[in-house]
Amino acid sequence: DMQAAAEPADSGGDGGPPQVAGKDAARPEDRMTLLLRLRAQTKQQLLEYKSMIDANEEKTPEQIMQEKQIEAKIEELENEIEDVKIAFEIKKLALDRMQLSSALKKNLEKIDTKTSLLMDNMKQILNLNKLIMKSQQDTWDLEEKLLDVRKKRLQLKQASESKLLEIQTEKNKQKDDLENMENSEKIKTIQQNLQREIQITTVIQHMFQNLILGSKANWAEDSALKEIVLQLEKNLTTIQ
Amino acid sequence: MSVLRPLDKLPGLNTATILLVGTEDALLQQLADSMLREDCTSELRVHLANSLPLPSTVARPRIDLIVFVINLHSKHSLRKVEESLHHVDATFFLGKVSFLVTGAGRESHCSIHRNTVVKLAHTYRSPLLFCDLEIEDFRATMAQRLVRMLQICAGHVPGVSALSLLSLMRISENPSLEDL
Repeated sequence: DMQAAAEPADSGGDGGPPQVAGKDAARPEDRMTLLLRLRAQTKQQLLEYKSMIDANEEKTPEQIMQEKQIEAKIEELENEIEDVKIAFEIKKLALDRMQLSSALKKNLEKIDTKTSLLMDNMKQILNLNKLIMKSQQDTWDLEEKLLDVRKKRLQLKQASESKLLEIQTEKNKQKDDLENMENSEKIKTIQQNLQREIQITTVIQHMFQNLILGSKANWAEDSALKEIVLQLEKNLTTIQ
Repeated sequence: MSVLRPLDKLPGLNTATILLVGTEDALLQQLADSMLREDCTSELRVHLANSLPLPSTVARPRIDLIVFVINLHSKHSLRKVEESLHHVDATFFLGKVSFLVTGAGRESHCSIHRNTVVKLAHTYRSPLLFCDLEIEDFRATMAQRLVRMLQICAGHVPGVSALSLLSLMRISENPSLEDL
């Protein structure tokens, strides 16, 4: 089931009458253009057929390659094509430049160097180049400044890091000192206990003194009693 | 003839022939009309087909470009296209085959995932074009594009061959598609 909708489209090149019959009635130049166009077409088509023949003459690899390998090979070949294209474009560019410069040379010999459009263009090009170089220099400077600022920032960060570290050690020391002081609290309580004990002992001393005195015994005569009483006189507060 | 070969006939003078293969007859006809309305220095011939192989009873000129039209709304169109692909010679896929996908606009009606057609185009290493053929303006733009491609594939543009067009189109593809 196939339908052929084969209506010929516009074949006029000048926007003239679209009918095919108009071709014969056209002016000779149109016919020349048409002929040249057909010649270019036929050339291109011939090139296609030739390249197809050449491609068919290349021996295809007989071994069965895996799909991945085939894909890799295809990519390789495509890259080769791209490289050749690029090389061709570069050569074409170089040729165009050579042609342009030789045409310019010939032209320059003829023209008045002060007023021509060419000189204006050249001056404009020089100005633009100067601008470009200046902008590039500015960019470079700005990038340097940016780099400096970044370096400074890094330095500041490092300094603040060390400062914070110092603060932390200080805090830790303070905590330790506080702990020592708290320990000294213990010492204080111990001291208080000591005081209390001394007081209690002093009271006991006085108690014993009063006992001995109260008993009206002559303690001066007995050397043991004398020793005891003298010992009881010792002031215990001097011990601390 | 059961297999289409690209260069088995001599080209007609100033003639370029395109073959649109797809199950959506109305859309194909509209696209054909849009193409024929295009201003073109070569004589265009548009052939439509639902599927390949083409009946060998009809004499037809050399086919320069085959466009397989797939409608994302119908799995039937994809299946038909896949079957027809077997009847195309391998040398056709050197730039003379293209896939055209329609119906991507209405996501809810799509029964075929976009990646399926992307993989299909990648397997056959042919360009994939997206166009909503139902909208007049898009259709006209796509017709214009197809006419240019057809001219190149028919050899009417000096200096550009179907293969170079193919590599040109491949470069502008989204790089993520290549990772599929």
